[in-house]
Amino acid sequence: MTKRMLEGFKVVDFTHVVAGPHCTKMMAEHGAEVIKIEPLGGELARQLPMHREGRSAYFIQHNVGKKTMALDISTREGQDICHALIKQADVVVENFSPGVMKQHNMDWATLKTINPNLVMCSISCFGQSGPLAHLPGYDWIAQSYAGIIDLLGEPDRSPIFGDFAFGDVSTGAHAYGAIVTALLHRMRDGNGQHIDISLVEVLFSYHELSAQLYDTTGGQMVARRSGAHHGMLAPVGIYKCKDRYLFLLGVNHQWKGLATAMGREDMLNDPRFTDVVAMGQHKDEINAAIEAWLDTLENVDEALALLQKQRVPCAPILSIPEVIAHPHTKERGTVRTVSDPIFGDIHIPRTPLRFSEFPDTPDLQAGTLGQYNHEILRERLGYTEQQIANLEANKIIASKNI
Amino acid sequence: MSPTPMLDGIKVLDFTHIVAGPHCTKMMAEHGAEVIKIEPVTGDPVRGLPFHKDGRSGCFVQHNIGKKNMSMDLNAPEAKKICYELVKQVDVVVENFAPGVMKRLGLDWETLRNINPDLIMCSISCLGQTGPLAHLPGYDFIGQSYAGVLDMNGEPDGSPIFADLTFGDVSTGTHAYAAIVSALFHNLRGGGGQYIDISLLDVLFSYHEMAVEVFDGSQGKMALRRSGRHHPLLSPLGIYACNGRYIFIIANRDQWERLVQLMGRQDMLEDPRFIDIMARGRNRLAVDQAIQTWLDDVDDADEAVRLLQQERVPSAPILSVPEVMNHPHMKARGTIRTVSDPVFGQLKIPNNPLRYSQFPESLDLRAGFLGEYNHEILRDKLGYTDHQIAELEKTGVIAAKNI
Repeated sequence: MTKRMLEGFKVVDFTHVVAGPHCTKMMAEHGAEVIKIEPLGGELARQLPMHREGRSAYFIQHNVGKKTMALDISTREGQDICHALIKQADVVVENFSPGVMKQHNMDWATLKTINPNLVMCSISCFGQSGPLAHLPGYDWIAQSYAGIIDLLGEPDRSPIFGDFAFGDVSTGAHAYGAIVTALLHRMRDGNGQHIDISLVEVLFSYHELSAQLYDTTGGQMVARRSGAHHGMLAPVGIYKCKDRYLFLLGVNHQWKGLATAMGREDMLNDPRFTDVVAMGQHKDEINAAIEAWLDTLENVDEALALLQKQRVPCAPILSIPEVIAHPHTKERGTVRTVSDPIFGDIHIPRTPLRFSEFPDTPDLQAGTLGQYNHEILRERLGYTEQQIANLEANKIIASKNI
Repeated sequence: MSPTPMLDGIKVLDFTHIVAGPHCTKMMAEHGAEVIKIEPVTGDPVRGLPFHKDGRSGCFVQHNIGKKNMSMDLNAPEAKKICYELVKQVDVVVENFAPGVMKRLGLDWETLRNINPDLIMCSISCLGQTGPLAHLPGYDFIGQSYAGVLDMNGEPDGSPIFADLTFGDVSTGTHAYAAIVSALFHNLRGGGGQYIDISLLDVLFSYHEMAVEVFDGSQGKMALRRSGRHHPLLSPLGIYACNGRYIFIIANRDQWERLVQLMGRQDMLEDPRFIDIMARGRNRLAVDQAIQTWLDDVDDADEAVRLLQQERVPSAPILSVPEVMNHPHMKARGTIRTVSDPVFGQLKIPNNPLRYSQFPESLDLRAGFLGEYNHEILRDKLGYTDHQIAELEKTGVIAAKNI
């Protein structure tokens, strides 16, 4: 069998919750060996639902493929173990608040003297520098600071947010991309280095239009939240059919297809609807025509069939259970199954990188708390059973079947 | 002297348009790869998106800095020949046409791998290269609809809503970048070339950090539903109004203790209804009411955020894009970069969020005009004579324009 892409690479992982763990999970899925160091009580994700017998499915989703150790890194012995592991590793990943790694003698300045070829990646909400760097943060705090949440909601009402941490997960993917780039650089005779990835910057990079528009118009055009429809372009938005909602876009060349599907070819010659800018200015008329047309149809399936026939981009707005059950996601394996000692089979999203040489996702499990303490101390670091027992007795390491 | 960039010497042939594909190849350029972008003679459709100055699109500039632009009619046999010759010389091909288009153009993986067996090819699409929906046209929001993402945005009883930003496109471009570098790495270790299939749908679905496992782990009993400005399960986790502005507050474990102290509501610590973030989620109305009562007594949102941050309670003002661009933190970090452009002069765009200690400076990159590098590449890389190039221009196989 072909060697997996990151096979032979060793990662020491000090991450928790989502952004950091997603990064190291991706490394594990590409074949790296990931040793994840958790605090004695387990990392925060283990407290998040769904729970069964104390085991968190949330933890499983973000931690498959890692060798879990639980140790107290505020103790000298704990730090010695970490330093010894880092000496043997290629990569260190962490997502504490800036300053915490230094407090535990694990900052880049310290680690690069222990292992000059090391690639270290720090993931944080605001970055390692700047006036906000020291603040605690989560995905939605970063979304607030990145101008994203401000764009979600009805124009005259409170902004809202989506209950999914796309900032965390995609920041993890950015970190993964940066680490692999740094490893490639090292392989081509470069050195190790420190990588600083922040949620705020990743999220700000998602403004594909607004930052540039604000700048080029000298502040004239500012994106504002506009509910179920796009603020500037039309038709781009969510419409209600008799039974449920759908999304459709009919700008540029797709407008012709949409007008045809609606039997409103007359609109194609109307100067109000001839170009993107004019159409944006006459959103209300366009939306009224679309709604009137949808009202004449039985249901969303009929609307989708008519729209797809004209190659108008459109979609039903699916719920999670519907996505999981959809024939397309089933055929593609968008949802993968991992086996777990407590949950049995559990379904989680597949990592979306698909390689022709590696068509199957590796069969990985998430460790229980401290599951690999003994094996790694004994086999990697040469600790005796007595020494390991002492660490346990002194509460420097711990393990639990969660 | 700055060190040689990390992807120096890597050559990319880029058939991408709009955002997802161009973002991927822009990242490659930012890491030092040479990117040759092939546009149709009418230009990448993104050139039609605002803001325009003298026919030049700011949106195009943002997503296409650092690329050498060629413009040609891919339906012409001469253009296909040029592409095949370039494929022989490159390490990577990236495209984001609807599935099937590259095959129709004779540029599919089966054909290209025969021309260059070490090639890495990455296809980016809305719904993937396989499966019953693969053939459909798509954009970011179509991917968000099929991925169960849009369903999560909005008030419980109202329509779902969406934000005017294509995080699906940009972040799918990043996933493609990461996959390509992984494959380059594999190739350097003797693994050979391969084909990569990245879809917006897969990427967006992976963003459900909780909803999928909760639905599955509860055997279908719990499905997260859109819940407006508060999280459906956890509290406090949401958006609160403060004197005409909005702020985001999250408080878990010791953060909750500090929040309660700050609000002068130590009594809540003893109350079993608020014992942990899940219990508080079940008693959200009482939690929200306590927070709102406190906020109503604070002068303004800035003061509230200052007090919360002083106690290390995760909190933020909800900033608009202009406010982000003018924020001292973003300025100190260089979160916004300025690129120079022959038409716009200086243009502000989001900076590359990957920061390396060895490469602290962004490369000084600019976006090309339509077909700007036609002559240089045909002459220097493929040995075409000036006469041959003139002939291609005359027959409409290649084109150039200062836009």
